[in-house]
Amino acid sequence: MIGGSSGIGCSTHESGPVGNMLLLAGCVAAVLVAPGISIKLAVLLSVMVVARLTGSILFLARKLRFVVLFSLVLFISQALSVHVGRVILFGRVTDQGLVLGAEMALRFLVILSSSMLFVAITDPDELTHALICAGIPYRFGFVLSLAVRFVPFFSQELSRVREAQRLRGISFSFRRPSELRRAIYYTFVPVLVSGLVRVDAVTMSMKGRAFGIHRHRTWSRPLRWTRIDTLFVLLSAALLAASILARRFTWM
Amino acid sequence: MSSARDRTNRGGLRIENLSVRYPRRETPALNGVDEWIEPGEFVVLAGPSGCGKSTLCRTLAGFVPDVIPAEIGGDAWLDGQTLIGHDPAKIAPVLGYVQQDPDAQICTLNVWQEVAFGPENLCLPAEEVAARVHAALSEVGILDLQERSTTTLSGGEMQRLAIAAVLAMGSAWVFLDEPTANLDPDGAEMIFRVLGQLRRREGRTVAVVEHRLAPLVPYAPRVIVLDHGRVVDRRRIRSHYDLAEMRLRAGWPQPPRDVRTCRAADHPGNPSLVELADVGFGYGDRKVFRHLSLTIGRGQVLAVIGPNGCGKTTLLRLIAGLEAPESGRITRTAGVHLGFVAQHPHHQIFEQTLRREYAIDGVRDPSRLKQLLSEARLSGLADASPLSLSMGEQRRLTVSTALSRTPELLLLDEPFIGQDRANVIWVLSQIREATERGAGVILVSHDVELVASISDSILYLGDPVQIGSPDVVFEALAEQGKHAYTPGYWEDHH
Repeated sequence: MIGGSSGIGCSTHESGPVGNMLLLAGCVAAVLVAPGISIKLAVLLSVMVVARLTGSILFLARKLRFVVLFSLVLFISQALSVHVGRVILFGRVTDQGLVLGAEMALRFLVILSSSMLFVAITDPDELTHALICAGIPYRFGFVLSLAVRFVPFFSQELSRVREAQRLRGISFSFRRPSELRRAIYYTFVPVLVSGLVRVDAVTMSMKGRAFGIHRHRTWSRPLRWTRIDTLFVLLSAALLAASILARRFTWM
Repeated sequence: MSSARDRTNRGGLRIENLSVRYPRRETPALNGVDEWIEPGEFVVLAGPSGCGKSTLCRTLAGFVPDVIPAEIGGDAWLDGQTLIGHDPAKIAPVLGYVQQDPDAQICTLNVWQEVAFGPENLCLPAEEVAARVHAALSEVGILDLQERSTTTLSGGEMQRLAIAAVLAMGSAWVFLDEPTANLDPDGAEMIFRVLGQLRRREGRTVAVVEHRLAPLVPYAPRVIVLDHGRVVDRRRIRSHYDLAEMRLRAGWPQPPRDVRTCRAADHPGNPSLVELADVGFGYGDRKVFRHLSLTIGRGQVLAVIGPNGCGKTTLLRLIAGLEAPESGRITRTAGVHLGFVAQHPHHQIFEQTLRREYAIDGVRDPSRLKQLLSEARLSGLADASPLSLSMGEQRRLTVSTALSRTPELLLLDEPFIGQDRANVIWVLSQIREATERGAGVILVSHDVELVASISDSILYLGDPVQIGSPDVVFEALAEQGKHAYTPGYWEDHH
C-alpha cells in the first residue's frame, strides 16, 4: 500500500501533500487539455490505479456511485442533443454526439474522482503545512484543516439525530409541506446546535493553546517528499505532456 | 490605593468581586466572587450544577467575554497581571484550561499533532515540541496512541488526549473542567495521580471542577464551594471525615445507600423483556465482545460497567436495534416499548418549547404536563426553549420525556455525567419508579457507588466479562485486583 491518508482511506503516510496536490493538478489539467477520449480514459485509469495502490478504491467506489450515475445522464443527454455527424443509433444518435457525450462524462468523472482521491490520501494537517510553506498565512491555512475535521462531524451528528428520532417514534410523511418543514426542523436544528457548540469549543481550544499569538509557528514534523511523490509527479507530467502533444498535433 | 496595588502585585491568582452575567439571563452566573489561590495549590471547585464553576474557569482563562459574550464586573489578576478582557491566546502560556467535552476541543486529526499543536504555537524548537509531546502522552498513559487518528479514539482516550494537549503547553496554572467525567475508575485514578504529581513535582497550580470529591482526598485539596454564583465555603480536605463534614455543612443531599425497592422476582408474570444469546459484535477487526448472553426481566436494573471502549454504549445500541449483532441473537419481547436516554441530551431535543417537546411523546394534557415539569424540577419553563436550558436541565428533560411514555425497557447511557447530587438523586428516583411499575432498566455508568446502590445485577464488560448480582461481581472484581471497580474503594483504599 502506498500513499498518505486523512484517516478516510488508509492509515499509512507514504505520499506527502505536495505530491498528492501535483497529481491532482496534473490529472485535472490533462483532462481539460486533452482532445478526444483516449487520453481522458488513460487519466481515469491512472486515478483508479493510484486509488487501488493507496487502498482508497473502496472509499472511492462508495463516493463515486452518484457521480457515475450523473456522468451517465450527462453522456445520454449529450448524445441525444447533438445532431451533428453521422447517425448511427436509433435514428437520431450521431457518432459526434457519442464522442462529445463521452468526453463530457469522462471529464466530469476524472475531476471528481481525482479530487476525492486527493481527499482520501492527503492528511489535512500536512496539507495546511504545505499551503503555509507556499506563503498562505497559517491562521487561514488552518481553516482548511478544520473544515475537513467538520465533514465527518456533521455526518456523525446527522446519523445520531436520525437514530434519536427513530427511537422516539418520530417519522415524517413527505407528502405535505408542513411535514417536510417539520422534518427539516427536527433534523437540522439539533445538528446546527451541535455544530455551533462545536465551533465555540474548537475556537476556545485553539485560543486556549495560544493559536495566533506569534506571527509564525513551529512545524515540528517537516514536509515529507518520498519516492511515491516523485512517481506521482512523473505520472502527472506524463499525462499532461501527452495531452499537450495530442492537442498540438490533434492526435486522438 | 496602595493596599489594592499590593494585593494585585502578590503572587498567585487574585479574584476580586468578579461578576458575570450572560445575555438574556436574569440571574448572574457569578455574583461577586472574591478568592485568592496561591501558587502551587491544589484547588477543587465544587457546588451544584449551574453554580458558576465552569463560568469561573472560562472567565479566568479569558474565554468570557472573548468567545462567550457576557457582562463582566470586578477583576482578576494572575501574578499581578489582569486577566479580564485579555486575549485567551495570550493567557494560555501561563494558564491552561481543559474544557468539559473532550471530543469538541480536538482540532487536528492525529494524536501526536494534537498534543504538538500548543507547543508549536508557542514557537518552541521542534526538538522541544517533540520532548513535550512525548512527556505529556506518557503522563496520561496514551503514548501508544500517538500515531492514531483522533477520529478513532474512545471518549476516555479523547479525555486523556485533551489533558495531554494542555499539559504540553507547560502552563504553570492548569484548570480542568470535570476531567474525569468520561473516564473509567482506573483512568480517573490515573488522571488524579497525574494532577497530584503536577503540583508536587513541578510546582504547578491545579484547579479542578469536580463533582466526585472522595477520590481527591489523598491530594489534600482546598475545596472552594460555589452556589448561585457566590463562594459559600472554602476548606482544606485532608480526610474523608473533613469531606463528610463539608457536605453536611453545605447541606448536600446524599444518595440513598440502597434504592432498590423491587426485584425481578416481584414481576413473575413476564420475567423477560430482552434476551441476548451468544451475541458477538465488533467494529471491523476490533471485536467489542463475543458470546455475550444475558436476560433483563421486569422490575430489574442491570448496570453495565467496565473500562473505556469496552462496548457499554454499543451494548445499548444493540439492544435498541441501532446496530445488528455479528453473531448470536437478541430477542425483545414483542410490543415492548423502549425508552432511550443518550449521553448527549441535545441530540434528543427537537422542538422550540418544552410544551411541544413533551407533545412529541403524546403529553398534551396541561395538568399532566405541569406534573411532569414539576417532577423534573422544570416548573415554569413550559414555554421556554429547550436550548436555553442548562446541560443538567436538558438531561432531566430527556429523562422525563423518555419516561412520559412509560417505557417497559429503559436504556440510560451515563445519565450521571456532570450532574450534581440533587440531579443524581432525581435520576435514581425515576429509575426506582420505573422499576416499581415493572419496567426493566439497563444503566451504563462509571459511578460504581451509584451502580451498587441501585442495581439488581451487574455486567462488567472488561476482561474477563463478569455478570451476576452486585455482591458476586464486586467480589470477583476485587479478587482480580480491579479494586477501582468496587464500591467504597476511594474511602477504603486511601
